[in-house]
Amino acid sequence: MPLLRRVVVGSAALAVIVAGTFGVLLVAMSDLRSSTNAQARSKDVSTATLNVERVVNELDVSLRGFVISGSPRFLASWQQARTELPSAAAQLERLVAPQPEEKRKAIDLATMTRDYIQDYGAPLIAIYRLRPEAARSPVATREGLFRIDAIRKQLANLLAGENDLATAREASAKHEATRAVGIGVAELVVTAALLVLFGLFLAHGVVRPVRTVAAGASRVAAGDLSTRLPEQGAPELQELTEAFNSMAQSLEHGQRELEAQNEQLRQSERMKSELVSIVSHELRTPLASILGYSSLLLKRSFGKEDTRRYIETIHTQGGRLVSLVEEFLDVERVEAGRIELKEEPIDLRPLLEEEAQLISAEAPRHQVEVGVEPVSLIVLGDADRLAQVYANLLANAVKYSPDGGLIEVSGTIEGDVARVQVRDEGVGIAAEHQPRIFTKFFRGEAREGGFAGTGLGLAVSREIIEAHGGRIGFRSTPGTGSAFWFELPLLPNDKAPKPAPARVA
Amino acid sequence: MRAPTILICEDEPSLRELMRISLRSDYAFAEAADAAEAIALVDTVRPDVVLLDVMMPGGSGLSVLEHVRGNPELRDTLVVVISAFAADRDHRAAHDAGANSFLKKPFDPEELESLVEQLLASRN
Repeated sequence: MPLLRRVVVGSAALAVIVAGTFGVLLVAMSDLRSSTNAQARSKDVSTATLNVERVVNELDVSLRGFVISGSPRFLASWQQARTELPSAAAQLERLVAPQPEEKRKAIDLATMTRDYIQDYGAPLIAIYRLRPEAARSPVATREGLFRIDAIRKQLANLLAGENDLATAREASAKHEATRAVGIGVAELVVTAALLVLFGLFLAHGVVRPVRTVAAGASRVAAGDLSTRLPEQGAPELQELTEAFNSMAQSLEHGQRELEAQNEQLRQSERMKSELVSIVSHELRTPLASILGYSSLLLKRSFGKEDTRRYIETIHTQGGRLVSLVEEFLDVERVEAGRIELKEEPIDLRPLLEEEAQLISAEAPRHQVEVGVEPVSLIVLGDADRLAQVYANLLANAVKYSPDGGLIEVSGTIEGDVARVQVRDEGVGIAAEHQPRIFTKFFRGEAREGGFAGTGLGLAVSREIIEAHGGRIGFRSTPGTGSAFWFELPLLPNDKAPKPAPARVA
Repeated sequence: MRAPTILICEDEPSLRELMRISLRSDYAFAEAADAAEAIALVDTVRPDVVLLDVMMPGGSGLSVLEHVRGNPELRDTLVVVISAFAADRDHRAAHDAGANSFLKKPFDPEELESLVEQLLASRN
């Protein structure tokens, strides 16, 4: 559930619970109030009862006074009490109306007083007017006392009942008050506990995850870019940690890229210093001959034949310098894509044999064997450039097998390509250097192994072969030897009826 | 007294000849075109002076130097490293390996001659 909804639902639930408990408290208080009201009404009932009793007393006293004295003052009093009685009785009846028992008693009381007036009081006054003695007779007097006594008993009964009710109501009011206080205290405790729980929930659900993220951010700021946070909890927190993690990841990625670029820069720096070293070495060797011989020729005199030989050496070494310069320029041309290839049909077969013969003459310790399929290997391309690649592979085979051995050349047709391979039994290439062998100026351990060279031959060869639409590769085992090969697309026979003879540099 | 023997270790033939004619005096000469050959000749010929190229096929000239310095019987052998690698670190590497002197290519033939004479004289 989203955190926002959790907080909203939690707050709403808390509000409902608090409202509910206060509702219960209100009900308890209203119970208490109605108990108090009932108590008040009990007092009213008592007052009304006493009022009725007062009127009844008035009736009794004034009736007896009139019968004994015949004074009109008592008669007026009687008449007064008689008019007061219905309203007093009615008020009592109204007050006790909710209590059926009391109501019945009040109705009985009203009937008894009415009967007293109509069946006894009023006839007694009429009798008095005719025969006063008769009205004062003991029979008539006893009848009146009897009736009044019954009415007083009824009044006492009503009061006693009302008193019982009032006592019960007071007890109920006390009980309600205790209950209300109990509920109030319980609600306070429950509300406080719920507030604490809600606070804990907020701390657990919001504050703690925010702290975790803040701690992660501090770690990242301190440089630990590998910091990742667990993506868990509410969706908003997951979003936050996800965003944090992807930020850390992109920072880390950026740093790695920078490091990689740095490494590349360092590598190209190393390559540059390697290049300076290589150029220096390759140029210094022929220069040592040229300057050394010319200096001796200037300072000393030699026989005619020696002199001529030394000048020849100077000339040859001068030529070597020129080829070195050409080789460097070649790399520039190939790299800039300015290499111009002729496109003419060439038969590789004679080229392979002629070039091998040339290298054989310069490598007396090596045995060069050429095995070419007895058919023409006709490709479209630049004979000089392809001869350059092949000569480079042969020269490498000789150079990197200083102890001599077999150099095996093969020219085969494989499907629609011509494949040329030069295999030697030399020192081979260490596995860790193999991936970079075609990189210009890369020489692996060649320098440490005492092998002169510029590190350009294979780089240029690859450019030439790829410019011909072919492939170049090798396999090598350190200590056993290497086999370099290149493949060129064969020219279909119908397009090459008569191949031009291959030219050899 | 027999003439001092000079062992020339250099893969470039024209430079071997240049060193030989630079020295002019009546030394005895032996020549090696690679490191393995040089090591074999050091042991058999017991040269007084070795002129040593660093970059040779089949191993660095410094491996020849190590071989010489590793054999107590050859402790009097004088070694001059002549290298086309002329940076300070190449110079230092030769010195650390026990070379008596270091010449960089291109070298002055007369400087080579006087250097060899001086080394031989100081040894005697």
